[in-house]
Amino acid sequence: MATTYRRTPTKAELRRQRMEELINFPLDWVEERSGLVGGVRYFLFRNVPSDINWMQTLGSAALTAFLVQAITGVILAMYYDPSASTDPHTGKPVAWESIVNITDHLTMGWLVRGMHKWGASVFIILMFLHMGRVFLFGAYKYPRELNWIIGVLILVMGMMEGFTGYLLPWDQTAYWASVVGINLNGTAPFLGPWLAQFLRGGQEISGETLTRFYSLHMLVIPGAIIALITLHLYLVIRLGVTSPPWSKDAAGMEPEEAEADGRRAGLTRPVPRPAGASAMQAEPGGRE
Amino acid sequence: MAAIPKEKPSRTDEARAEFARYKADVKARGKPFYPYAMFHDTIMSVFVVVVIVSLAVIWKWTAFGPHHDPLHKGLLGGEVAQPADPGTTSFVPRPDWYFYFLFYLLRIFKWPESVFLGTIGIPTIALVLLIMLPFLDRRRVRRPSARPVAMVAAVLTIISMGVLTWKGATAKEALASEIKQDIPNWVKAEHLPPGALPGARLFASAGCTNCHTYNGAGGSQLGAPDLTAIGTRNLGVPTQIRHLQNPGSVTPGSPMPSFASLGPQRLRQLAVFLEASKGGK
Repeated sequence: MATTYRRTPTKAELRRQRMEELINFPLDWVEERSGLVGGVRYFLFRNVPSDINWMQTLGSAALTAFLVQAITGVILAMYYDPSASTDPHTGKPVAWESIVNITDHLTMGWLVRGMHKWGASVFIILMFLHMGRVFLFGAYKYPRELNWIIGVLILVMGMMEGFTGYLLPWDQTAYWASVVGINLNGTAPFLGPWLAQFLRGGQEISGETLTRFYSLHMLVIPGAIIALITLHLYLVIRLGVTSPPWSKDAAGMEPEEAEADGRRAGLTRPVPRPAGASAMQAEPGGRE
Repeated sequence: MAAIPKEKPSRTDEARAEFARYKADVKARGKPFYPYAMFHDTIMSVFVVVVIVSLAVIWKWTAFGPHHDPLHKGLLGGEVAQPADPGTTSFVPRPDWYFYFLFYLLRIFKWPESVFLGTIGIPTIALVLLIMLPFLDRRRVRRPSARPVAMVAAVLTIISMGVLTWKGATAKEALASEIKQDIPNWVKAEHLPPGALPGARLFASAGCTNCHTYNGAGGSQLGAPDLTAIGTRNLGVPTQIRHLQNPGSVTPGSPMPSFASLGPQRLRQLAVFLEASKGGK
């Protein structure tokens, strides 16, 4: 509502108004051309059910773990060398040497690699916990079926990140786990042998396999994960998060359902709730 | 066109009505995401980052902080293992821990009849069921107490994955030095001719027993068959050599790696040993 001045505004008031316009100018400029400011405002100030609980932070926790992987991964990519050829001076594979170099000689390199290595496990654990929470809450039901499927795809992609990233240090553990892992892929009917051949880039695991895994690990799969997470979040914002199903005040509960719950909980006088209004908003004390 | 009056609203109608009620409820008496939910999310995210940094610190300080040896193992494993060497095969294939459940599943099924179930069959079925979950469970009720089938299925899944992961983590690794001491027993039990001895030593040290069992020794990994009586199948030395060089060419789809790097002489010794292994008959 615009304030209508009865008198002419003072100089101080005019100056203040001009300052506000100046500060808001960049935001207004962006908003007028993209609507993004309104989008962010909607994201931040949209309502969520008042009874959401700590378990519902697991999704954002998994996102945080993914961001840690993305940031540490970018830094590692600056120093890692995906080459299986042998360094003529030391007789060791170049990829293996670059990993040892990152861990032992780069300033804070051990921290970046350590966070990437252990962040992977944390990311996987958090995705499983988040999935468990969604299952427990029955939050995969109408209208959130599609978001459940997207979530499962993110989990599969996350495990593929684990599989491809495991080979990159090019040590014995990595090498032989990948030999067997790829051979197991090869036992699948129809596409299996083709897939194994594609992953290896030939008959044997070689330097070509290493560059293939590196490309998949830092370009293809993360790209897919980022796209899927964007879709996932879009649907979360569009459809909203569910109340815990055992909540006495769950959003969307039928009035008689709420009443039955109240009786079960030992409340002698369940508060009837007209659709759209709430007990919290009811006038205290009542009017008689 | 007059609509046909419905006796009872369909499940879809009920679900739509519930979602409309949910939207109205959240609008009327929810709380804004910022700052309430975002506050909790932020605390949780900070906690996650702290956990990741702590793991990295523990890994560094117990493995290579004071040791300066890239191969020293700490509480959370070593910095890195020896460089990859396609020439040595005496290495136990071990995936990252979150693949242990798949890895151990392969020990339950025996090659070659049913191992397909462990490698592709069960994981594929599990993944399809997981994706299809919202369409398999279409009831509207969300309270766990009203979903006994779903809850029991979830608990069984968690238990089986937990057990498989645990078994995979504690699976015994076959050590070449221990296996070698077993060779005299093999000679007695299998009536091995002296010509088979070099092959027996090779068998114990080249990594075969990482996956295969022989006379009770070794670890059965990845569904690899017991080789105590492999000689009774009379495959012949040339076939055995061909199999060792390229397992897939003799047993299509075999997950076994190629042992061609051992060279023709040692491959022949191995093949002679395998052909001589008649299970004591």
